[in-house]
Amino acid sequence: SNSVSASGGTGVVWREVEGEAPTSPGSSGYAGERGSSNASSASGIEEIGERDGGLVNGIADSQPAWVPGKRHVNEDDASVSWRKRKKHFFILSNSGKPIYSRYGDEHKLAGFSATLQAIISFVENGGDRVKLVRAGKHQVVFLVKGPIYLVCISCTEEPYESLRGQLELLYGQMILILTKSVNRCFEKNSKFDMTPLLGGTDAVFSSLIHSFSCLWQLLGETDDSLANVYVLEASADTYLMLLTTRSDAFYHLKECRASIEAVFLKSNVLSEVQRSMLDGGMHIEDLPVDPTSRSGSASSHLGQHSPERFRDTYTGIGGPCGLWHFIYRSIYLDQYVSSEFSSPINTPQQQKRLFRAYQKIYASMHDKGFGPHKTQFRRDENYVLLCWVTQDFELYAAFDPLADKALAIKTCNRVCQWVKDVENEIFLLGASPFSW
Amino acid sequence: MGLYSTATISADAVKLCVFDLRRGQREGEEVEKILYFYPSELPLTDQLSVIGLSEGLITFTRIFSPDAACEVIEAERHSHVFYEAEPDVWMVMVVEKNKELEGIWRIEALRGMLKEVHSLFVMFNGSIRAMLDKESTGALIRSHLFSFITDYLFDFLAGKKLQLPSFHDSLQERGTVQMLTVGREAAIEIQSLVRVLESCAGSAGCHSLVLFHDLLVSTSVCPDDTVNLYTYAVLRMTPRALSASGSSWSYIRKGNTAAHLTTGSILPTSSTSTERVQGSRDTSPSGENRYLIARPLQQGKWSKGKDGFLVTNQWGSDMNASFPTVWLQQTKERMYLCAHQHKNVTIILLIPVTSINNAEREIPVLKQQLLENASLKILKVEEKLAKGWGGENAYHVSGYRYLLVDGDRCVSRASPAAKAATLAKESLVAMCKLREEVDMEKSRTKDDDVNHDKDLEVCIRAKNNSWIVARILRGKELYVVLEKANETLLYASDAIEKFSNRYCNGTFS
Repeated sequence: SNSVSASGGTGVVWREVEGEAPTSPGSSGYAGERGSSNASSASGIEEIGERDGGLVNGIADSQPAWVPGKRHVNEDDASVSWRKRKKHFFILSNSGKPIYSRYGDEHKLAGFSATLQAIISFVENGGDRVKLVRAGKHQVVFLVKGPIYLVCISCTEEPYESLRGQLELLYGQMILILTKSVNRCFEKNSKFDMTPLLGGTDAVFSSLIHSFSCLWQLLGETDDSLANVYVLEASADTYLMLLTTRSDAFYHLKECRASIEAVFLKSNVLSEVQRSMLDGGMHIEDLPVDPTSRSGSASSHLGQHSPERFRDTYTGIGGPCGLWHFIYRSIYLDQYVSSEFSSPINTPQQQKRLFRAYQKIYASMHDKGFGPHKTQFRRDENYVLLCWVTQDFELYAAFDPLADKALAIKTCNRVCQWVKDVENEIFLLGASPFSW
Repeated sequence: MGLYSTATISADAVKLCVFDLRRGQREGEEVEKILYFYPSELPLTDQLSVIGLSEGLITFTRIFSPDAACEVIEAERHSHVFYEAEPDVWMVMVVEKNKELEGIWRIEALRGMLKEVHSLFVMFNGSIRAMLDKESTGALIRSHLFSFITDYLFDFLAGKKLQLPSFHDSLQERGTVQMLTVGREAAIEIQSLVRVLESCAGSAGCHSLVLFHDLLVSTSVCPDDTVNLYTYAVLRMTPRALSASGSSWSYIRKGNTAAHLTTGSILPTSSTSTERVQGSRDTSPSGENRYLIARPLQQGKWSKGKDGFLVTNQWGSDMNASFPTVWLQQTKERMYLCAHQHKNVTIILLIPVTSINNAEREIPVLKQQLLENASLKILKVEEKLAKGWGGENAYHVSGYRYLLVDGDRCVSRASPAAKAATLAKESLVAMCKLREEVDMEKSRTKDDDVNHDKDLEVCIRAKNNSWIVARILRGKELYVVLEKANETLLYASDAIEKFSNRYCNGTFS
């Protein structure tokens, strides 16, 4: 299968997968999770604790590459290890038949699946709809999509809104593979067993779940509309995604594959892509110390930093005692830019933790009701987080937990100014945001 | 007809139940589990359905979270709040979410109600489990819970509806004590009064609490017991509580005679429909009542006698009916509860039941002694406190709306309710949501490390330009709303710092 569907503007990243794991998983952007499927190592529980999501961005050399695919098929709800996993995902039918489980064998989880179904329909029979159950550190999040029930059981401290969004994406993924005619199947036969139809697609689901810790997932608003995405593997590490909401156009795209590839070759676009990859992204160290002297060479702040310039500008704005990371989202363009991870956010674990902290402050800023808050400053034992929402942009920035408040505010202002200065280079201007 | 005629209350809005998971294990006997259900008129099948779902979720969540079972179910139309009051004894409150703003609340604030009514129940009656052990059919505990919780809910009745804590109460904390700040001189006077009070009953381990208006002045029991006794005093014994219940006294009595507490369908089917719980003897319709139950939370229970002592009648069925007793958690001891009031000073004296052989004879003697020995001191203390009293708005800080909680000592101080009510709804809702976030952070770190308190600082500029601030430091919490403040974060931080330095001994600076 070549097609992947995405919900709304979140853009599910997928590549051509022929049932098996892709050839170079490290390049997919969600590689590097610790404890991959060959986890025969000791310290089971500890490992379980780590293996609940993924890496945010890039991959440390020493990390074993994350390989998509089903884990721990021998487990079921009676296994202690299964119960201790940090984040479960289940898809089941409204008759309680298991369709997908992130961990464990679906058939062995039939009883558990029936329990989930019983909870959902019990509440439904009372004229209500269950959304969330909280118990200690655990959250159980429910999503009902016609005859399909989706459930997430997690102790990752992610906000309800985030987990629900992930279930929406999972549903989108499933519908992409099976199409909406599954609803008709269930209408005809409520006991319909869907698992064979999904045979071999475990890698797709596990990749998707793994990518739930990516930055783009934070800023994406899910909606119900489905897009058809056609993914071309243009080179070893470059992919082209073509999106359309029209399914007929989608088949047309598929037919055009050859000519698109020809255009690639002629236009030299791939080497352009390669070059910009090598040039690197936004570095916090490049942030101008003195905002008044930002004239002239602003553009050179992007990439290509010579060791000399590095020395010039590295005076404590970033790094261990200052700004660790930021995300800037242009609301008008519906695009975001984020810095590379600065020290000490070096490991995937630290990056994931920061991502979760962003998730929380995002949910807190965007609580439904009176509309988003304007500013938020939050200091706990891990970070100082500053969030700023205006009509033009949203900024999320992470600092050392001991950072000085006044300096942090100053730095944020500087980041915003800086991004505005280099806006032409980092954002795709003139492109209309995806809207369907 | 008051609360007892619950038919008039929108049946769906609030449900509250108490059930015991150790009972009714066999199929067809599930009804045995139910110890209390409000509203009692709800058909038995509906009651069982609430309890069935609750039990199901408790069992289910234990698969993943064996140490902390289900705490809350959020559904589209209802919130279900769980509280395991005693091992396997659960309280669940189901609250309807209405579309309007009024339906915004903190789950912890609702759970606070469950905790409060249970703590008070245990203070007067001992644990639910103990009573179940004493009388295994459950009829005794059902009768007690029925009158107790129903009396408790009465305070939340506004018109025909129960008015539960909502975002309006964002700057209040149930289950804490509000203290009066006294000067050095007054403190010495109070200390000497307490010494006299507690020596009244000879060498027996007496305890005392002193209140001025609705604020605590001194206590000699542990924080948990203090909270319970203080809560009860403010509900039913302080001058304000007495006058409040006094004014509605006749109304309550009328309601009481009109509707005896029908336990209704919650009793096992073997019971006849004539089974009743009765609150006061004088309204007894016939001799068919099985239990005479003390109703300490009944409105108008207390009145002030000529000698300044608060009196109550019909406390229970036992010999010492007119002398109420309470259990202290700290010492696991039963104490006689004596209360004396002089103007706005309320004194609660606790005397160990074991030190009194004949209450009818000895307690009046004790009271007499107390009057002889302590009267002058009480007068003096009252004078001192009244002189230094800043009035209702004594703890108002202009420009700030705040709540300060010391979790370890169960003490809080807050802007006067009337002042907090001047805040925009938007600000109060934002504070309510921020507190919910903090509640969740607190519960997450709760089990990790007992000695490690979560430290947190959150400063939010809401859409209406108010600043919503939370500071958590070493178990102390400060919540502040600043409206009409300058727009910069640093200005807001400075304002909090000033407040902390001036009113919190720099705790949050």
